[in-house]
Amino acid sequence: MNPEIFLQLNRVIHEKGRLAIMSALAAAPELSFTELRDLLAMTDGNLTTHIRTLQEEGFLSVAKSYQNNRPLTSCSLTVAGRKAFAQYIDLLDQIVRQAKPK
Amino acid sequence: METNWAADNLQTIRTLMERSALYRRALAPIMIFAGTMGIAGGLTGALGQIQSNRGFVWLWLCTAIASLTGALFLVRRQALKDSEPFWSPPTRRVSEALLPAFFVGLITAVMILVSSAGTQSWEVQFFLVVFWCWLYGCAIHAAGFFMPRGVRWLGWIFIMTGCILLAIASVLKQGLENVPLHLLMGGIFGGLHFVYGVYLHFTEPKKNVA
Repeated sequence: MNPEIFLQLNRVIHEKGRLAIMSALAAAPELSFTELRDLLAMTDGNLTTHIRTLQEEGFLSVAKSYQNNRPLTSCSLTVAGRKAFAQYIDLLDQIVRQAKPK
Repeated sequence: METNWAADNLQTIRTLMERSALYRRALAPIMIFAGTMGIAGGLTGALGQIQSNRGFVWLWLCTAIASLTGALFLVRRQALKDSEPFWSPPTRRVSEALLPAFFVGLITAVMILVSSAGTQSWEVQFFLVVFWCWLYGCAIHAAGFFMPRGVRWLGWIFIMTGCILLAIASVLKQGLENVPLHLLMGGIFGGLHFVYGVYLHFTEPKKNVA
């Protein structure tokens, strides 16, 4: 097994909570804060922290709007986020394939 | 093993991607409502002795429109209750999957309405029952790719019901004219939805997200 491959894994995405957020957003054009919170069973504070980290990394964009006079926060992956997520999955796939007995 | 986590992570990613792309509003009230409407439609047709082709089409067209309107109202109510958008991406995908077969069913109904003024044909009405079963089965099977797995099974049940009806008609050839088609429609469309709705009522998770 090539140890270099482990070093290439994106540390921001690798964290369990952030990986869950990236995975959920990879399959949907956008999800509201409530949808993400319910889907991932996270607390508001935990989700906010992870979203902020991903946003600072440029992987996620957050849009704030109003719906029926209530604030609506929507999250979506940026192009850079989709690219980083795809690379992360490729690396995981390589790790799994290399570990398989030949 | 140090690589087990990689496989576990891939599995988690896959599960989360599937869950976030699925339509997960509570289907039980929608199915029970549609079932009740179907049964009511069947009873109305049978008790009102609506026998003409036009009457048959009008009754079931109105039942379908009322069921669809009521279902949309229930979905909207759930969305408002959860402070979520009604026209969410999964709702849009489900609607787009339903649309082609619904459109064909509607066009067929309109053609029969236009071409069968004052006529009464058991064969035409039986054809409609079978054809609508197939179309509806195909529609919800297509929508089932964006919904919980059971919906695709329901789609297959409608398709197979249409096939069984056709097979019975082909084998028997005679004596079927006495079968009350409104009750058959009510039993198939109303009964299946109602039973599935009751099943979901006791089994599906109460929290819903579309």
